[in-house]
Amino acid sequence: MTRTSHLHCIIPPHLLEKLLSSDDSEVRQVALNTMLTTARLRGERGIRASFAGAAATPGNGRRTVFDCQNGTFLPSAVLARSEDGPESPDDSVNRAFGGLGTTRDFYKAVFNRNSIDGQGMRLDAFAHFGERFNNAFWDGQQMVFGDGDGRMFSDFTGSVDVIGHELTHGVTELTAGLKYHNQSGALNESMSDVFGSLVKQWSLKQSADEADWLIGPDIFTPGIDADALRSMKAPGHAYDNALFGRDPQPDHMEDFVRLPDTEKGDLGGVHVNSGIPNKAFFLTASRIGGFAWEAPGLIWFESLKASNTETQFQEFANTTYRKAAELFGDDSTEQLAVLAAWQDVGIQISGILAGVARVRSLAADRNGGAGGDKGMATVSRQLGALAAQVTGLARDVTALKGK
Amino acid sequence: MRVTWEAQGGQAAAIRLGLPPKVLNTDALPESTAGELDRLVAAAAREAGQERPSRARDAMSYTITVEDGGRSTALTQSEAAMSPAFAALLGWLEKHIAEQ
Repeated sequence: MTRTSHLHCIIPPHLLEKLLSSDDSEVRQVALNTMLTTARLRGERGIRASFAGAAATPGNGRRTVFDCQNGTFLPSAVLARSEDGPESPDDSVNRAFGGLGTTRDFYKAVFNRNSIDGQGMRLDAFAHFGERFNNAFWDGQQMVFGDGDGRMFSDFTGSVDVIGHELTHGVTELTAGLKYHNQSGALNESMSDVFGSLVKQWSLKQSADEADWLIGPDIFTPGIDADALRSMKAPGHAYDNALFGRDPQPDHMEDFVRLPDTEKGDLGGVHVNSGIPNKAFFLTASRIGGFAWEAPGLIWFESLKASNTETQFQEFANTTYRKAAELFGDDSTEQLAVLAAWQDVGIQISGILAGVARVRSLAADRNGGAGGDKGMATVSRQLGALAAQVTGLARDVTALKGK
Repeated sequence: MRVTWEAQGGQAAAIRLGLPPKVLNTDALPESTAGELDRLVAAAAREAGQERPSRARDAMSYTITVEDGGRSTALTQSEAAMSPAFAALLGWLEKHIAEQ
């Protein structure tokens, strides 16, 4: 073999082509193998060169969208749009491209995180996967979108919250690494809904009051009677129709759904029980008020980084309570909001008696928490919220000026 | 031959928990069509795929169950690692049930 590999390097292409049409089948085979090997080597050299270029400048979440052309074999997908390239004639491709960018920009602006891994990892997406595939998923490295069947679901590139949800699976994998089954899996799913929703809210500059708190409201075809895939504000109420039945998400631990840890059981109900921590986040954000990606988002993000593969709801709740104190102070509005939110979904922060928790959060309400609407304390709190919004706007202007 | 198939998991996992499996009965199909199905099932059974790649998230898996003369064969593959033959069978089934 070594003798023939020497020959691979020195036979010029035109001669190889002549050999390909030889009458001798062995000669033809050798020539063919040579051409294939050379092509492969050339390809590899090309790839290595582009890596060298990439190492020189940080990735910064460079986006590439591929078109699967309704196939299911990702390596066969064709390049449809690259970071510095022109817009595609394909709307799905452009929407996927835009969604990747919005999510990347959100993590950079809000958490100063450079792409999913914090080190500028490239963001790749594959559109038009399969035929009428009713789904979008994260395959461990990149996002894959189906077109929907046009009866139940439309194109999955349409919802920025779904895109944020999928990319957040990458963030979770590289931080806590929450195992994708049972409670840790439901928490994993909830992280994706929380940050997916925050991406949407941030892109629309919506406050917690203005946000719809729905995941995937644009996914269904117009004929389907459903608000969204999931509601963080009202788990269990996203849909109730003859085709789907009723939304099975619980909003309280007493309604935790026990499902088998199998494909059929949604791996212990990871997309079902996520309703409980989703509601806790919504309640936290509502109570604190203002932009949910600021205090609530920061508490949750720091708590995600402080969690591990086996973290369950209770431990995560305790962590959010602790992080809220670290970030905003003991007995701050933020910490009390977290305490009350988890209590409302049936999880008592460890070490704090339920009765004491209720008294403290009622006291916070009387002093102008989210429930109050009278008095000087409320006015000064509202001024505080306005000041925070002005600070946020000033930051945005600075960022725009810097571009 | 009776073919049932269902999808599990995915973004709409909670919805799918409540959906019944789809059924296709080949007795109702013309012979040439039934023959096509036979070939697709045989090809799908030969090629390996994966039930669930460990790092996939929100990926759906499909279980296709073929009942033929008392024997039952079930094939489960994830869309994150689906063989072309399985995808072809699935596409064929979806197309034919849409036509029914």
